[in-house]
Order: sequence, then structure tokens, then C-alpha cells
Amino acid sequence: MDQPLLRVEGAAFGYAGRPVVQGASLEVRPREFAILVGSNGSGKTTLLRGLLGFLPPLAGRVERRPGLRIGYVPQRETLDPLYPLSAADVVLLGAWRDLPFWRFSGARERTRAREALDACRASGFARQRYAELSGGQRQRVLLARALATQPELLLLDEPTAGVDAETERGLLDLLHDLCHERGLAIWMVTHHVQAVGTRSDRIVSVSHGRVHLGRAA
Amino acid sequence: MSEIFSPDFLFRNAILGGLGVALLCSVVGVYLVLRRLVLIGVALPQASAAGVAAVFLATGHGQGEGHGTHGLALLGSLLTTFAALAGLVAAQRRARAPAEWGIGALFAIASAATILFIALNPKGDIEMSGLLRGELLAITPSDLHVLGAALLAAGIPFFLFRRDLLLCSFDPEFARTIDRNPVRYDALLYALIGGSIALGVMEAGPLVVFGFLVLPALAALHLAGGLGAAFAISAAIAASSFLGGFALAYRADLPAGPVCVGVAAVAWLAAALAARLRGRRRALATLLVLGAAGAASLPGCATRGGRAELPAPEPGRAIAVLPFDNQTGDPLRIPSDLFWKDVPRALGDPFAPPSPTVPDLLAQRAGIELARRGFEIVPPDRVRSAISHAPADPATAARLALQAGFGGPLLLGTLRRFTVTDTVLLVRLELSLVDPKTRQVLWTGEARQPVPIPAAQTLPEIVLDAGGPIFADAFDKH
Repeated sequence: MDQPLLRVEGAAFGYAGRPVVQGASLEVRPREFAILVGSNGSGKTTLLRGLLGFLPPLAGRVERRPGLRIGYVPQRETLDPLYPLSAADVVLLGAWRDLPFWRFSGARERTRAREALDACRASGFARQRYAELSGGQRQRVLLARALATQPELLLLDEPTAGVDAETERGLLDLLHDLCHERGLAIWMVTHHVQAVGTRSDRIVSVSHGRVHLGRAA
Repeated sequence: MSEIFSPDFLFRNAILGGLGVALLCSVVGVYLVLRRLVLIGVALPQASAAGVAAVFLATGHGQGEGHGTHGLALLGSLLTTFAALAGLVAAQRRARAPAEWGIGALFAIASAATILFIALNPKGDIEMSGLLRGELLAITPSDLHVLGAALLAAGIPFFLFRRDLLLCSFDPEFARTIDRNPVRYDALLYALIGGSIALGVMEAGPLVVFGFLVLPALAALHLAGGLGAAFAISAAIAASSFLGGFALAYRADLPAGPVCVGVAAVAWLAAALAARLRGRRRALATLLVLGAAGAASLPGCATRGGRAELPAPEPGRAIAVLPFDNQTGDPLRIPSDLFWKDVPRALGDPFAPPSPTVPDLLAQRAGIELARRGFEIVPPDRVRSAISHAPADPATAARLALQAGFGGPLLLGTLRRFTVTDTVLLVRLELSLVDPKTRQVLWTGEARQPVPIPAAQTLPEIVLDAGGPIFADAFDKH
């Protein structure tokens, strides 16, 4: 059995010293597609932020495999549309991951960005301004940016929120393909259990700050 | 164009210094606008100005006291700018109240403090306010060196960390996932913003700094297709607006700072209109915006207001040059060569003869210059014995002159500015020729051209050297 990418043992995560999620114990395994579900305010985004390392554990511990590369897809509304960046520019940000500050961004980074755009079927609107894209297109661009970082684990925060059913299906198919064809581990926060449940390997539910691990529906 | 870089060119320091400030502010300003920190761009220059005024009040320094003056002012500017910035950032991180509350309070406090510090300073508030307003013409070679070093100090990290600054500004959470520390790069950005503002306020004043932080960046973001282009267009608009505005101000005899900001504002409005266009039309419009801002610098697009020529000399009608009125706010006394001659007056002896002043020397020089141009002049001693102080108005002057038996025209002068910097004399002298019998104003003229002066001159030497150009500016038709 593969070594887990990330292991959480009895961890508590929260803000200003107040735990929102407590006693969380879980493992993130390679090539698994897991969804984090729960009602609003249950603590699923807090758990995701804990996995990302944004929130240090208030109790327990979080172990990441040394050198683990995590790709993060935030909610698309968090990005400022004022920036004059094209979709390709946004994806290029991910390709800069391993680029030291003294080196110029070159063909290698552009190729990596182009491949990520292709993988997310976003090449068609790569030259359009990010702010002018539709919700579904933006989500693909953010996914491509995360892929351009060449991650082993993708963490997504409600990537299908606010998109129509067809776009949602397309995104989920894409994530499913990435998981099985590229061998990526994917954990995503979602409210849409019905739509995602059949594609996922595991459902992790968060309720009142407690984490419950389950199998796919 | 190359003459700008010649050390002998009178406006070299002003143009290069102002251009440096404009470029620095315009590039940093792109991030200020993108990060929605524009209000900070209003409040921080004011805090910086308050710092300058506070240091002068605390140390008793004033303009014209050598290089130390600028150094102290820069210190005050840097201290208050970074203190205010740190306070705003700390308040923002706590996020208990909207950020603009703190920024608004800072602006109100800094504005009030600046005015109070100037009012409390006994060392000539007019010159002090000139320093705070930002006197481009007062930029010295050492200021240029400081500015050059600051441009390098800001430019190198800005270029080296350009990707990290963008990453941490656009999406700090994503930046963290790829091992960039947003706190570190935010600190770098704030240091660049604070340093640019503190230095810019010292050299060009709060108005120019705020104007060039915001307007070129706003215009560029209307036109640019990418972030790199936004920086380039912002810098280009700033450079062309500054050069165009400076030339326009020079030709129209207006203060340079507001005119430069005005040109940048026109560029912004034009960019907002051009942004409605697409494709090649937008590219063409971008070029037009840049060209229009720069076109103001072309000779002849604005002309200096015409000057009336002095009336022809009339035989038998000698001109009486009356004592000039001093409206500079500074006594401008000429210290005696023998210091003990000044002691009785310093001790408050009311009968001690008054020491001469710069307006007195200028009035003497006016008589000499008129005589050179063929006018008969009433001997200055005769005028002095009859009218010892500057008359309040032309009517009073006419009455006093007729009582003293002067029937010829009277030359009245008002000195509104006399600021000595290391390299130039900034002067504004208004003159008028009045017929005492009819009380009709026969001629008015003005001298306001900066006059280059060698360093380390005494006041009498300055008046002696600058007198010719000053009165050529006022008397001769341009």
C-alpha cells in the first residue's frame, strides 16, 4: 500500500486559538478522490486550510510527506478582477513555482502552463482576460494554474459553487480524469454530494467540528 | 534634449529629479491601485509632509540653511511615513474596523498637524511651506544623488521580485502553497510605497506624489492588456506628463507640480475614453494618449503671456524709485560686515539705524538698471529722505511723491518671493510705474524667472549677480 501523502492525527484547527475542527484524524492517500462535505459553518473549509498548512494545528499533529507538492484551487470569487491578467498569465503563476527569483521565466514555464491549459480544456480562452471569463471558465483556469505547479495533491475549495449543472458535470469529469489518468490525489470541498458522490473514492463529512470518514456513496 | 543632462542647464536638477519621482511613483502606483490602496496614497504623503514640518519645528531649522535642511526633512518624512504605514497595516490586520476609517483619520490628523507645525515655526512659514509644497527648482545635485540611489534601491528588488510581488498581491493564499511568504513580500511592497512617498514628498511635494501615484496607473490600467504593459504605459504616461507639464508650466508661468498633475489627469481621461475602443484602435489611442501628454512639451504649444514694454524715457521727467514692499514673510536683512554694528539693534535699541534689506538693494539696482536704459532717475538718497517706507498703495505713493515734489513717474515694487537654494534664486518681484498726478498706472512688469547662482554667495553678492537678469526679465519685452 502507498505511503500516505498527508497524515492528520487528533488535530484541532481554528482561529485565534479557538478550535473549529477538533480531533481530526485522517490520511490523504495517493490517487484518491475524496470530497469534504458538511453544512455551512461545519468546519470543512477550516479543515481544508489546516491540510494546506494555512492554519497550524492547535492540538494534535499534521505530517506531510517530505517534499509534498500541493496544488490549491481557491473559490474563484477571491481573486481581484482588477488585475490585467489573461487566463494564460494566471496559469503561468503556477508554473513559476520552482523558478528562483534571479532567473527569467522562459520556454519551460510557458510549456508547462500550456500543457496545464490543455489538460483543463482551457486553451480556447487562454488569451482572454481572466476577469471577463465565465464562472466555469475561471474555474478551469484556476485548476490549470494548480496543475501547472505539478502537484501530487490537489485541494479544491468549492470549485463547483455557482456554476450551472452542465459546467459542473464537465468540471467533475475533468477532476475524475486527472485523478485516474495523472494519478493525482484530489480532495475537494463541496455541497453537491449527489453530483460528486458517484465519482469520489471517499466522502469525508464534517459536522459540528468533528470529522467523519466514510466510503463512496 | 541632451542639454537637460548638462550640469550648466538651469532646470537640469528640477527636470531629472521630478522625472525620477514621477517614474518611481507611477510604477509603484500600479500596485497601489491594484491593491486598492489608493486612499493610502492620499494619506501617506500628508503624513510625510507633517513629518517634515515637525522636524523643522523641533530643530528650529528653515530653508536655506544648507544641505542639513534637506537631510533633516527627509528623515522626518521617512519616519512619519513608515510610522503611519505601520499603524495602518497593523490596524488593517486586526480588521476590527474598515481600513478607510483609519486612513481618513490619518489624513485629517496629518493635515491639521502640518498646518499647525508650520504656523508655530518662527522661521518663515512661507519658505517652509515652499519646502513642503515641493520645490522642484530647489532640488540640489546631492538630492539628485539621493534620488538616483533610491531609484536603484527600489528598482532592483522591484525587478528581482516582480513575480513574487505579483503572486502575493494577486492571490496570497495560492502564493503560500507554492512556498512564497506573502507577509515578506507585502513588507517589501509597503517599504517601496513608503520610501517612494517619503522621498517624493521631499522633492516634489504631496500633490505631485499623490497625482503620479494614481493617475498614470489608472490610465495605464485602462489601456494595458497585461501587467507588464501596465507598468510600461504608466511609466511612459508619467514621464510624458511630467515633461509636458513642466514645459507648459514654464511657458505659462505657472507652478510646475499642479500643471504636471493636470496633464496626467488629461491623459487619464483620454485613456478612459480610449479604453472603449478595441484592438488596433485601442493601440492607436494608447499612442495618441502618450503623444498628447508629451506634446505639451513642444515649444510653442503654450506661449508665455506677453509683456508690456517700458514707456519711452521722457526728458525732464525723472523716475523716483520708491522703497520696495517686502511681502515674502522674511525680513531679508543684510547682516553687517562688522558684527558689532548689528549689536544695538539686536539688543532692541530703537534709535539704532536699520540694517539694509534685500528689497532695499533691489530698489537701488532698479534705479541703476533704469538709468542704463536711458531713464532719468531721482537720486535714491533724495527719495529715501522723503519716503522711507514702501507706500501701502499707488494712491498713497502718489500723494507722498507730490508732497515731496516728485513730479515724474514713480516705480513701485513688491517683492513676493526671494528663496535662495544651492543653485538658483527663486524670485517674484512685481513692478509698476505710476504717474503721481493722474494716478494712472503707466506700466506693470514682473520678474519671476529663476536665476542661476553660484554656491556659497552672500545675500549682497546674490543681489549683485542676479540683479541684471531679474530686471531684464521685468523691464525688457520678451
